Amino acid sequence: MQADETEMRLRGLMLASLDGDATAYRVLLADLTRYLRPWFARRLSPAHASHAEDLVQETLLAIHTRRSTYDRTRPFTAWLHAVAHHKFVDHVRRYAIRPTVPLEDDAPIFATDDSANAADRHDVETVLSQVPPRTSDLIRQTRLEGTTVAEAAARHGITETAAKVSIHRGLKALMGKFAGGEK
Amino acid sequence: MTDDLINRLAADLEPTPPRTIERRLILALVIGVLATIVGVYLVLDLMMGRPFGGADSAMMFWAKFGYTLAFGLLGLAAAPVLARPDGRIIWPLAGAGLLALIALGSGGMMWMRADWSMPMLMGQTAMVCPWLIVLAGTPVLIALLSALRTAAPRSPTLAGFAAGLVAGGFGAWTYAFYCGETGMMFMAVWYSLGIAMTALLGAVIGKFVLRW
Repeated sequence: MQADETEMRLRGLMLASLDGDATAYRVLLADLTRYLRPWFARRLSPAHASHAEDLVQETLLAIHTRRSTYDRTRPFTAWLHAVAHHKFVDHVRRYAIRPTVPLEDDAPIFATDDSANAADRHDVETVLSQVPPRTSDLIRQTRLEGTTVAEAAARHGITETAAKVSIHRGLKALMGKFAGGEK
Repeated sequence: MTDDLINRLAADLEPTPPRTIERRLILALVIGVLATIVGVYLVLDLMMGRPFGGADSAMMFWAKFGYTLAFGLLGLAAAPVLARPDGRIIWPLAGAGLLALIALGSGGMMWMRADWSMPMLMGQTAMVCPWLIVLAGTPVLIALLSALRTAAPRSPTLAGFAAGLVAGGFGAWTYAFYCGETGMMFMAVWYSLGIAMTALLGAVIGKFVLRW
């Protein structure tokens, strides 16, 4: 029912536009922009999302220059869909032949190397397993994850002082084991 | 930015009467056919010395007249529909194929009864006939393709093919007035070939020039 209303309204505007009514034409194009923008945005991949506005404008331009191909006896929305679809397919073809990615999107591929981090993390876990679970949790939370000592203590239901002592003892024990004695 | 565009387009709006595409195509066809009639007269009558008047056998002249005109009209039925972004039509193209098959079938029967006689198939002009038909259709093809450039065909290739079918049909129709061949098989093979070549030429050119 709603689609029929849209069709009736847009078709009325289009017929008035074809007869030279510039006001109706402006309303029609503004209306179509609102439908077309999300329509293209839904169909575009995230990499090309910024092209939606270009496609809307290309479609409006095609509606204008090719308006004589609208057959007054046929549904307007079908014609509009065919024009928009043509512009979309055109876009897909253009970018399927030469897929392009903006330079600023390309750079971060080499900016961070995940494999070293993963190895480090594995080592840390091995080391931490040498101390009691609660101590290793506290060390992980305060030294690796950036939690404050007060928060970490609250999570384990102990006082801040007890947490500090526990962390200190744990680190001391680990240094004893792995650093060849206390420094 | 899009609002600017809308304002510019609205300022540029001019009334567009109904059936604009159809009228443009008919106008292009008339201009093209007139150019073809003059061109064919100049090339065939004056340069190649073929008299106006067609074949000796009136029956065969009318067969060619009707056969070629049918292709032109079938193409003309398809062209305005295929010129639209939402246009789908298949019967004129299927009809053209069927017509060629019927001609080949009945021509083949007559040829078989004549014991596959080579002169009946080749006539006097088999080697030039298809090329002259393409040449005769060229003015119509150019006129129709330039008219279609203002349209928005769903498939530029198919729209170009329809334009080529019209051009081939009317080109061959004009050519028939200067053609002295009397064989049914001659018409079925060489006229069809000339029309098909023009249609394919239209499809190839259309693929590029009718993009929008």
